[in-house]
Amino acid sequence: MTVIEVRDLAKRFGPATAVSGLSFAVGAGTVTGFLGPNGAGKTTTLRMLLGLVRPTGGQAVIWGKQYRELGDRRQKVGAVLEASGFHPGSTVADHLRVRCAARGIGRPRIGAVLAETGMSDLAGRRAGSLSLGERQRLGLAGALLGDPEVLILDEPANGLDPAGVLWLRGFLRRLGADGRTVLVSSHILAEVAQFADHVVVIDRGRLVSAGPVAELAKAAGQAVMVSSPRAEALRVALAAEGAVVRAAGPDRLEIIGLDTEQVATLAAALGIPVFEMTADEGSLEQAFLRLTAMEGRPG
Amino acid sequence: MIPALHAEFLKLRTTRLVAGMTGLAVALTALIGVLEAVSAGTGKGMAIPSLATAGGLRDNLAATGFALLVAALLGVSVASGEFRLKTATDTYLDQPHRGQVLAAKTVAAAVAGAVLGTAAAATATGIALGFATSRGYPLALTDPAIARYAGGTVIASALLAAAGVGVGSLIRNQVGAVIAVVAWGLVVELVTGATVTAAGRFLPYTAAAMMAGDANGGGMPQIPRGVNALPYPAAAVVLAATAVAVAAVAGLTTVRRDVT
Repeated sequence: MTVIEVRDLAKRFGPATAVSGLSFAVGAGTVTGFLGPNGAGKTTTLRMLLGLVRPTGGQAVIWGKQYRELGDRRQKVGAVLEASGFHPGSTVADHLRVRCAARGIGRPRIGAVLAETGMSDLAGRRAGSLSLGERQRLGLAGALLGDPEVLILDEPANGLDPAGVLWLRGFLRRLGADGRTVLVSSHILAEVAQFADHVVVIDRGRLVSAGPVAELAKAAGQAVMVSSPRAEALRVALAAEGAVVRAAGPDRLEIIGLDTEQVATLAAALGIPVFEMTADEGSLEQAFLRLTAMEGRPG
Repeated sequence: MIPALHAEFLKLRTTRLVAGMTGLAVALTALIGVLEAVSAGTGKGMAIPSLATAGGLRDNLAATGFALLVAALLGVSVASGEFRLKTATDTYLDQPHRGQVLAAKTVAAAVAGAVLGTAAAATATGIALGFATSRGYPLALTDPAIARYAGGTVIASALLAAAGVGVGSLIRNQVGAVIAVVAWGLVVELVTGATVTAAGRFLPYTAAAMMAGDANGGGMPQIPRGVNALPYPAAAVVLAATAVAVAAVAGLTTVRRDVT
């Protein structure tokens, strides 16, 4: 069952296009990484999904409705979009009391979410004195107040130290294991792959790829690494065959779109010596970079 | 609406905004009140008449002029502070019907403004009556008149704080909104009142100050000469209408803008 659906979503800020014709869906009970480089339009998309930014085209819905039209079911959607959206003079407990009041949620939930996020000992601390990691946890605690079925998190790992990242990873895994639907934005694919089942990759406001994490590298295409003293001539010939080619060092090329056999055959036909050729399965991060690089390819 | 109202009151109770602004209003009122009382009847500079006279006592009771301005700034902070502190995102996530948030903020700020006004009025009244009685003067104003000026400060503070929410919603940048309110109160209204005296009494800050006891040509900041006070209820209506009009404009324009 689809929980989150983005259909032909578009947003322009004056002359700048932030999101354009973006469509994807997030199924119930999945943990989905929402990936893209900085400035890809992730935050704008999430804010449109949550009714904070008005789309200039298309729509983004949760359970088939716009966020503001969800009524009581809105309690079942939790979100963290600001890492430091707290009044610095307010205590942790008071911040959560205000959010409970605004949502009509009973205060007993405060103790539960503080325990869930490891913040119980900090209930009396002022938000202004919290570390960035503690603020991230407080944001997550606020998002959990309604015991949500859907969680939308914008770059929750930003600024966390390694211990914080480890904690967050386990926390998100637990949310997924509980059967909640989680959409987490990030620009670090390797991190998202630690807890996500699916990924949606966008670049420059447009969809690049969507599907299971395991298929992402395959979808991005295997890279072929070639060393040749006539790298430039080979680059021109490969590009003419439709491959995406970029320099990977002196006399070394990275080729996407052709396999080793095709590259070797072309080099032999042109009489271009090849000293080394390897098929690079690539890491997820490289796949991500390739996907976004391919998206930016002219023409 | 009720959850939004509950949340706004809780925000004011659990932060130091109201206490800080009330402290500022009391300090300014005390400073002006004491300076006026000490120099009353000396005829020097801008000294008010003797506290033995009705005019002098009234002027001293109305030492709340700057407190009224602080009340408006309290309202501004309630609204624009959400953007300065980046809490607006969670506020609108919790209550996406923004008109309800604006209405709740307006009501909460009005109550907080009334608290501030009560503290300022008590300070001014205490100083005026304290100095007058310590000098052995019989009170030159009746108790209802004294209560009327104190009540004017309370009502005007509440309504100016409510109007401040509208201004803070129209101008999300808190520094810009504060400058706009101070410039309006201390420059625009004084210049307008001095040049078009018939219109001066309908200006919100002038109407508020005159509810609190400021008279034609008196007060701190000074009411322009020739500007006569509106009847008490009419002044309250001017302030209420100002609050509603500014909130309505904000509700139809800036409040609907993207929260990025």
